[in-house]
Amino acid sequence: MIVPLHLIALALYGLATALALAPFIGLRPSHRALAIAFPCAGAAAHVVAVSQLTLFGLGPALSMLALCLVLLQLASERLLRGSAVSFFVAPLATGLVGLALLSGLTPGAEAAPGRNAWFVMHVALSVLGVALMALAFIAAALYLLQFRELKARRFGQIFQLFPPLERLDQLNRFALVAGFPALTLGVLLALGYGARFVGEGGGGLHAAKAQIVWGIFTWVVLGWAVWVRVVRHWAGRRAAVASIAGFSAVLLVYVALKLVEPGVGRFL
Amino acid sequence: MTTHVGMGIKVVGVNHRTAPLDVRERFAHGAHEVPAALQRVMAAGASGGVLLSTCNRTEFYLLAEDEPALEAVWALLGERLPSGPRGEGAAREYGYIERDRDAVRHLYRVSSGLDSMILGESQIQGQVREAWEASRAQAGPVLHRLFQTALHVGSRVRTETGLGMGTASAASAGVAVAGKIFGDLAGRTALILGAGDMAELAATCLSDEGVQITLVANRTQERARAIAERLGGRAVSLEEAWAYFATTDIVLCSTAAPHAVVTWERVGSVIAERRGRPLCVLDLAVPRDVDPAVGQIENVFLYDVDDLQTVAAQATARRRDEIPAAERIVEEETDLFWAWYGGLGVVPVIKEFRSRMDALRTAELERALKQLDHLSPDDRARVEQFSQALLNKFLHQPTLALKEAAEQGRGYGLLEALRRLFGMEPPA
Repeated sequence: MIVPLHLIALALYGLATALALAPFIGLRPSHRALAIAFPCAGAAAHVVAVSQLTLFGLGPALSMLALCLVLLQLASERLLRGSAVSFFVAPLATGLVGLALLSGLTPGAEAAPGRNAWFVMHVALSVLGVALMALAFIAAALYLLQFRELKARRFGQIFQLFPPLERLDQLNRFALVAGFPALTLGVLLALGYGARFVGEGGGGLHAAKAQIVWGIFTWVVLGWAVWVRVVRHWAGRRAAVASIAGFSAVLLVYVALKLVEPGVGRFL
Repeated sequence: MTTHVGMGIKVVGVNHRTAPLDVRERFAHGAHEVPAALQRVMAAGASGGVLLSTCNRTEFYLLAEDEPALEAVWALLGERLPSGPRGEGAAREYGYIERDRDAVRHLYRVSSGLDSMILGESQIQGQVREAWEASRAQAGPVLHRLFQTALHVGSRVRTETGLGMGTASAASAGVAVAGKIFGDLAGRTALILGAGDMAELAATCLSDEGVQITLVANRTQERARAIAERLGGRAVSLEEAWAYFATTDIVLCSTAAPHAVVTWERVGSVIAERRGRPLCVLDLAVPRDVDPAVGQIENVFLYDVDDLQTVAAQATARRRDEIPAAERIVEEETDLFWAWYGGLGVVPVIKEFRSRMDALRTAELERALKQLDHLSPDDRARVEQFSQALLNKFLHQPTLALKEAAEQGRGYGLLEALRRLFGMEPPA
C-alpha cells in the first residue's frame, strides 16, 4: 500500500499546486476551504503511507520531509490567514514525493528492535528541523518578494495574494527558532546512536569526514541565522536574507555531498 | 400571523443616482429623527416601516397601499427642501418608488453593495442592520423578515462572490496597504498631518480598523483639536510632529500646503532611530506633502494618492466582474422571499376555505342522517367517512393550485377569485 498511497498523495499535492498557482496565470483564486482540503486529504493519505515506512534510505526521508512541509503549511495557514505558503510548499511537496517514488520506497536495512526508538527520534527530529528551516526559507522569500512589491508600489498578484510583511516575519522567526533546536537535537541523537551501537553492525550510522566537516559548517551557518534574529534582534529584510543564506547553505552542501557520494540507500 | 393582502411592499426614496449631494444631505435623517418620521408615515396608512438613511440614500421601506402612505413620504421629504411644504413635488422629482418584488430585489441589491456608490462596499451592511434595529418597533413581521433576509443576502454575496474583494476608495486603499505591511492594524499608532475633510475621513477609516490616532498636527490648532478629540488623540503643531516619526507606525498626510512639508532633512535622522521598524506613509494631499526622497529610506513605505487610487481602481475592476454572480444570488433570494410572502396570505385563506366547506358538509350530513335514522351506527359512520372523503377530493386540487401559485408569488389573483366565489371577507 506504500506506493499507491504515495501516488494518491502525489495527485492531491499536484492539485493543490495547480490551485495555488492558478492566480498567477490569470485564473480566479480558489476558495480557501478548497485550497486547504487538497493538501489535507493528501497529508492524510501520506501519514498512512509514512507510518508503513522503515525510514531508511533517501526515498523514505524525502517522503517524510514532504509530509512535514505540508503539515507545517497547514499549521501556518492559521498564522497567515491565507494560503501563500502553499505557492512554494505545494510544488515542493509534489516534487519531493515524486522524487521519493523515483528513488524507491522499499525499505533499506532494518534497524535492530532495541535501536528503533533512537533511530526514529533522530529521523523525526532531523526531518522536522529541515522542514522548519525550509519553512523559514519560504517565509523569508515571500517576505522579500512582498517587500520589493511594496517598496516599488506595484499592486499586482504578489501584493494581493501574499500575506502582510509582519506576519511573514513572525513565521520566519518561529520556524527558525523552532527548527534549529530540532535539527541540533536530531544530529546529537545521530551521534549518540552511532556511539551507543558502534561495532554492533546492522543499521548503525556511519559518517565520512567530509560529511562531518560540512555538517558542522551548515550547522554554524544556520546557528548564525538564528543568533542574529534572537540575540541581535534582526528583523525584516536583513533577517530574511540571513535565513535564506542559512538554508541555501544546507541545500548546497547536501547536493554537493550527494554528488560526491551518490546513492539512494542513505539520506546523507 | 397577520396578513396584509391588498397591501404591498414598497420602497420610496432617493439615492446617489437620483439626487445630488446637497439634496441627499437635506433628506438624511439622524437616528433620533427616525421614529417620528416613521410614525407620521404609518399614521397615513402604512402597517410597517423601516427608514434607511445614509449619506448616499434615504429610503422608506413600507408595507402599505400606494396612497396615501407614499404621499406622506413625499410630503415629509418635501418639507426638508428650501421651498418648504410646497417641495413635495420637487422631492418626488428626485426620488423613485419600487413595488413588491422589485422592492424586495432593491433592498437585497442595496445590502449586497450592488447599489452603492462604491460597488461592493461593506459599510452598507451595517447601515441596513442599524436601520432595521432603529425601526424595530414599527417594522412589523413582513419587514422584519425582509431586513433579516437582506442581511443574509449581503453576507452571501460577500462570501460567495468577490464583490467585496479589495478596497475601492483611496482612503480604504490606504488602510489595505497599511494592512499589507503590518497585518492586524489593531493597536498600531497613527500620526495625522492636516485636518481637512480628507484627513478626517482617512483617519476615521484607520480608527475603524483599531488604529490608535495618537496625534493630529495642523497649522490651525483648533481644527486639529476637534479631530483629535473625536478620534481620541492629541493635537500638536507641525513642528512638534517630526519627532514622532521615530515611534509611530503610520503617518497620514493631507495638508493644504503648496509644497512638500515632510522632507528628508526634517525626518531622515528621526526615522533612522526606528532601527528598521517599518513606517507606512500615506500621502493623500495634492500637491504632495511628502518629498519622494523620504520613500527611498529603508523600511519607509510611501504611497501617494495616485498609488492608492491604483489600488482602488484595481479592486473596482475586479468587483465589476463579480456583478453577474451577485445578481444571481439576489434573484435567487428574491424568489425565496417572494414565495414566503405569497404563502402568508394563502395559508389563512385555505384554512378558512376548508373550515367553511367542512361546516357545510357537517350541516348537510346531519340533515341527511336525520332522514336515515334506520341506519345502523356502522352505516352512519360509513356515510360520514364518505362525506369526508368526498370533501377532501373536491378540495385537494384547489388547495394544491393555491399553494403552488403562492410559492411562485402569484397567489393573490387566485385568492381574490376564491373570496369572491365563496363569499369570504378579506381579513382585517
